[in-house]
Parts: sequence; structure tokens; C-alpha cells
Amino acid sequence: MAELVREIMIDATPETIWPFLTEPDKHIEWNGTEAEIDPRPGGIYRVLTKGEHLGVGEYVEVVPLERVLFTFGWEQEGNPITPGSTTIEITLHPEGDKTRVRLVHRGLPEDAVSDHTSGWGHYLGRLATAASGGNPGPDR
Amino acid sequence: MDAALKALAEPRRRAILRLVWSHELPATEIADQFRDVTRPAISQHLAVLKEADLVIERRDGTRRLYRAKTATVAELRAFLDDYWTSGLERLRDVAEAAETRKRPTKGRQ
Repeated sequence: MAELVREIMIDATPETIWPFLTEPDKHIEWNGTEAEIDPRPGGIYRVLTKGEHLGVGEYVEVVPLERVLFTFGWEQEGNPITPGSTTIEITLHPEGDKTRVRLVHRGLPEDAVSDHTSGWGHYLGRLATAASGGNPGPDR
Repeated sequence: MDAALKALAEPRRRAILRLVWSHELPATEIADQFRDVTRPAISQHLAVLKEADLVIERRDGTRRLYRAKTATVAELRAFLDDYWTSGLERLRDVAEAAETRKRPTKGRQ
């Protein structure tokens, strides 16, 4: 299993950034075209892009202004990245009047193409289709 | 990279790539793995994978052998990195715009 880590420095306070992670109408300003999110443990995470279900999961941990952790996967039958199979953790680290935002995607099948079961290629193919506005369709 | 992503959007081509990931296989053996697909169809998939630089073709007499070009898949890994990076960059842009609205005196543009 692999993890992917990305960080970015944002010239804004956690108070300003937090609503973009937790309020549906603000979430879609940067991610998705529709968002149904209920950021509390057990709450739903469902972010749609152009009407297609893209990311689906459930919140595990929500610490206001600091951290949000939710499970993440694709809803399609047979997709190796199933809902619940990976997690995304986003943490906010204030530094002066800026904030370092860190995203960690855990549980990815890094070399899964090579172990003959599933893989990045599969995931990325669907991602490429969805990201370009297409419908990846039912997985086979 | 677009060609690779497009090539991988087809599930059968992903299956073929997995078959030849760790060892080279002749086209006939690849086709044998897919009983529900015709040989010309498999040949076509292999051509697309080759065009996308995802497999390397080698000729041995009348046989054609294929193996995965792993460097291209590593590039796809980089694509996923970029996917998240661009998401976070959009977050930065909207959050900084909101911050500016909250604190107009701070002099951001």
C-alpha cells in the first residue's frame, strides 16, 4: 500500500480555509460540481464531478480548523479503489498568517499493476475519463 | 500522456498491460487469455498500447512479443500527484480570494 502526500502554502488563515473543506457550496468552488458532505464522524462524503459520482466516502475524524479525515473510493462495481478502501486526510498547519495545507491519500495500491491484481492504470484511466468530463461507465 | 490515459481508459487494455507487466509475452498467448475477444481486436488493443508508449514490441521471427514499458506508468503516477496538486491550488486560489475579502486592508491584489 502506498500513500501520496501533497502540501501547499495558502496565504489565508485556517478560519478562512475550513469552510471550503466542510461547506458544500464552498467545496465545489475548488473540488467537484456537486458536493453532499456531512463533516462529522460517520457523515457522508460524496463529491460529484459533472453529474458523475466521483469520490465517495465517510468522515472518520473532524477537528474544526485542524483536520478532516474521510474514507474515499470510487462507487463503481469492481473498481479496486472501492469506497472505504483508501483514506484522505487534510490537515491545516498555521504558520504566521499563512496556513500549510497537507493532503495525504493513504491505502493506494501503488504497484498494483505489477502484482497483477489492480492498479494505477485502472484508477488513472477512470480518473482521466471522469476528469475530462466523460463517464467512465460501469467497471468490468 | 494523454495517449496513455486514453489507452488505459479501456479495461481490456489495462488487463493486457497487467499480463505483460513483469514478463514478455507473444501476442498469441496474450490473445489466449481473452476468449471472449477476437485476435484482431487484441491486436488492435496492442497497437493502441504501443502507440501510447505503454508497451514495447519485439519481433522474433514471425512472432511479436510484448512487454510493459514501466517508465510510462511511472509518469502516470506523476499525473495523479498533479491531480491533487491542482486541486490544492484551486483551494489556495479560492481561500486566498476569500481571505482578501475578509481583510481588504491587508492590501492583497
